[in-house]
Amino acid sequence: MRAVLDSKVVATKLLALVGNPNVGKSVVFGNLTGRYVTVSNYPGTTVDVSRGAGWFAGEQVQIVDTPGILSLFPKSEDERVTRDLLLRERPWTVIQVADAKNLARSLLVTLELGRLGIPMVLALNMSDEARQRGIEIDAPRLSKILGVPVVETVATTKEGMAELRRAVSSARVPSVREDLLAEAAEALDRVVNCLPVPVPAREFVAESLLYGDATVWKPIVQVSESVEREGARCMTVSSSASKRFARPIRFLILDSRQQKAREIAAEVVQVTGATGSTWAQAFGRLSMRPWPGYLIAAGALYILYQFVGVFAAQTLVDIFENVLFGKILNPAVIRLTDFLVPVPFLREMIVGPYGLFTMAVTYALALILPIVTCFFLFFGILEDSGYLPRLAIMLDRAFRTMGLNGKAVLPMILGLGCDTMATLTTRVLDSRKEKIIVSLLLTLSVPCSAQLGAMLGMTAGLSWKVLAIWFCVVAGTMVLVGWGAARILPGVRSPFLMEIPPIRIPQAKNLYKKIRARLGWYLREAVPLFLLATFVLFVMDKTGMLVLAREAAQPIVQGLLGLPAAAADSFIIGFLRRDYGAAGFFMLAQNGLMDPRQTTVALVVITLFMPCVAHFLMTIKERGLFPALAISAFVFAFSIAVGGLLNLVLKSGLIGV
Amino acid sequence: MTTQKKYPIPSAEQEDLEESLGAVYHCFERGIRDKKSILAVLEEVVNVEAYGKLLSRGYAREAGSDVELSGEGMKLAEDVTRRHRLAERLLTDVLALSSHYVDPNACKLEHIISPEVAQSICALLGHPSECPHGSPIPRGECCREAGESVEPIISSLDKLSDGEKGRIAYLLLKNHPELHQLLALGLVPGTVFSLHQTHPTYVVQAGETTIALEKDIAEKIFVRRTG
Repeated sequence: MRAVLDSKVVATKLLALVGNPNVGKSVVFGNLTGRYVTVSNYPGTTVDVSRGAGWFAGEQVQIVDTPGILSLFPKSEDERVTRDLLLRERPWTVIQVADAKNLARSLLVTLELGRLGIPMVLALNMSDEARQRGIEIDAPRLSKILGVPVVETVATTKEGMAELRRAVSSARVPSVREDLLAEAAEALDRVVNCLPVPVPAREFVAESLLYGDATVWKPIVQVSESVEREGARCMTVSSSASKRFARPIRFLILDSRQQKAREIAAEVVQVTGATGSTWAQAFGRLSMRPWPGYLIAAGALYILYQFVGVFAAQTLVDIFENVLFGKILNPAVIRLTDFLVPVPFLREMIVGPYGLFTMAVTYALALILPIVTCFFLFFGILEDSGYLPRLAIMLDRAFRTMGLNGKAVLPMILGLGCDTMATLTTRVLDSRKEKIIVSLLLTLSVPCSAQLGAMLGMTAGLSWKVLAIWFCVVAGTMVLVGWGAARILPGVRSPFLMEIPPIRIPQAKNLYKKIRARLGWYLREAVPLFLLATFVLFVMDKTGMLVLAREAAQPIVQGLLGLPAAAADSFIIGFLRRDYGAAGFFMLAQNGLMDPRQTTVALVVITLFMPCVAHFLMTIKERGLFPALAISAFVFAFSIAVGGLLNLVLKSGLIGV
Repeated sequence: MTTQKKYPIPSAEQEDLEESLGAVYHCFERGIRDKKSILAVLEEVVNVEAYGKLLSRGYAREAGSDVELSGEGMKLAEDVTRRHRLAERLLTDVLALSSHYVDPNACKLEHIISPEVAQSICALLGHPSECPHGSPIPRGECCREAGESVEPIISSLDKLSDGEKGRIAYLLLKNHPELHQLLALGLVPGTVFSLHQTHPTYVVQAGETTIALEKDIAEKIFVRRTG
């Protein structure tokens, strides 16, 4: 019995990785656990908490990777997640991962961690980059000052990992303290003394209360109900204590802490002069300047077009669709089904014109998969190289007219891959207003890569004017709608403020794992909906509802938009997946059922059209039901109106295609 | 035993005199010199005896229907105007007081600013030539020594140009979330930085941290240039 209990205790030992954003926490996590999570340069992408297990001195320990923080006294969602986790789960040990190039900033977090009373180890990560820049840190001296083990590491090459594992067993609670102003220290003491006895991390809780942050109770209230009641009294004590200061006490204490961190850094860091700037740093600097920054940005977008739009959407899709599926797989499956499935109805369900295999699986694997894979590869390189924040600088001004700032570049570009995933990342934005505008623009104007690929395929062989008209209409309406939304929606735009990480060469292993995770997510989201959409079409076709639906949609599809009747199918499946709808148009165009005018109108309407079901559900989850419905209603009406108008203009011959 | 204070608090009488001289100086600036108008102004902004006191102290004299200031009067008038307008600039630029509070406070400050303090304020602000309302600030000894155009020692970050270096003096973002973010990123008073670029956004390099920020934020970061 006792043995069982002991082993249970051992298994619940928890080790937490804590640190600033972009210090390589996730790579350390991967090294310690053997399991990997997304690593990226873009501030704020590690929103989710990853867990794994690793061995330390013959014991298995649970390891948790927390979101990056600037401070343990939270100002953002990420910081709150990390603080709550540390308070609620009280880890056995914390490994603080620090950027060796930026010691003072990390020491600020070390000083805050000291208030938690959890034993810790400091890992000075990226020490290779620090050495390269002539920054040397006296680790033994730093360890003495802080009172915790300090290990120099390079997570990407696993340097120092063995030492880090060993150091965990000698972890200590930091003994270093900032020199607070006497009055601030006294105020803090008063709150500490008033806290009920069983409260853990008393100094930390007291400081949070002093800042007027009552949310600190949430993760620790489980201690007992009465604690919370007594705590309410402390809140009063703390608010009267903090009122005695002219400046917010938060900043007084932050000042002292900041100063201590710099003093320590000054004592242990020696800068011997950088060993010259590398080409990566030079490129990083150049890509932020108007010249050649805009050229580099245009170049990046051009490569994206060539790689995803031409190579993936045309060359690869051709191989997959015509050769692999058209000549090998589909004939084989058709023969196999003929042989195995005796019922004609079921046979048609699998391999008919609306067959689950011949339509859904073919679309998903032959058309969509190569395009999405290539996009995620390209996006992963952009992200891991640290170029995205630089693109944010270049696009800040353009986004400003739409009530946004450069930070919106992440969701907007990711939207070119998958709008659903992009809607999830709108969390990195600061204000609700910006989140709504980006959600709206993602729904309206940003085609996802699969859709984009199918659309670029449609324009193959047509005049460049088709693509130009499409681009101008979509980009123009995006700016117009963004501009209008920025003026109509309440709230303010938050100014652009962003940390720019150094340019790094992406690592193949990281890229591979990241793409695999994203692709897996995408396929789990998309393929079931493909199958469902096909099945709905099949049933509608068999029951004659498809004809009815086509007739019902005729005034809009044939009348207003001037498209062939069969285009109604694409709109119907477009409700389920926009890319699938685009693929439907792609087929119509390939079979010569649409002239250039109709292709142009179809391109514009399917781009602006409704979000797919997954995207719609994600918008509800992130923004709420009402904003999601309002966005969809607007987008539906707007896309048909713009399409109708474009049809009229093209018909009148004002612009020829 | 009496103690001689180096900087005595000015008496009410002295304050009134300075106030009167400032008012007369301002009338002169606008081309108003006739006794009737000046008398009306002085009665309104100071008191009824103000005019008489200027005459009896020998700061002003009458010339026909006009009023003119004596050499000593003119010097004092320029001096008090200068102190008032420098105080206005200080309150507006550095302390970022709303215009509503600037004037009453500047009126109090002008009387207690010593010549040394006036000179440092003038240097701090870069020997400004105009007050926030656009009236010229009479030039002091320090301005003449500093030469024609001097850049202010302390200015907001957005006034710097590409490649300039400096040290952060203070941040004006009161309780904005951006302030917390700046502080946590290490852009605290005392930080040495170089301004990498100003377009399309400002990019500041401090140590190994690179931060991009917009003009809205750059305007609120005040820095001391270090060449």
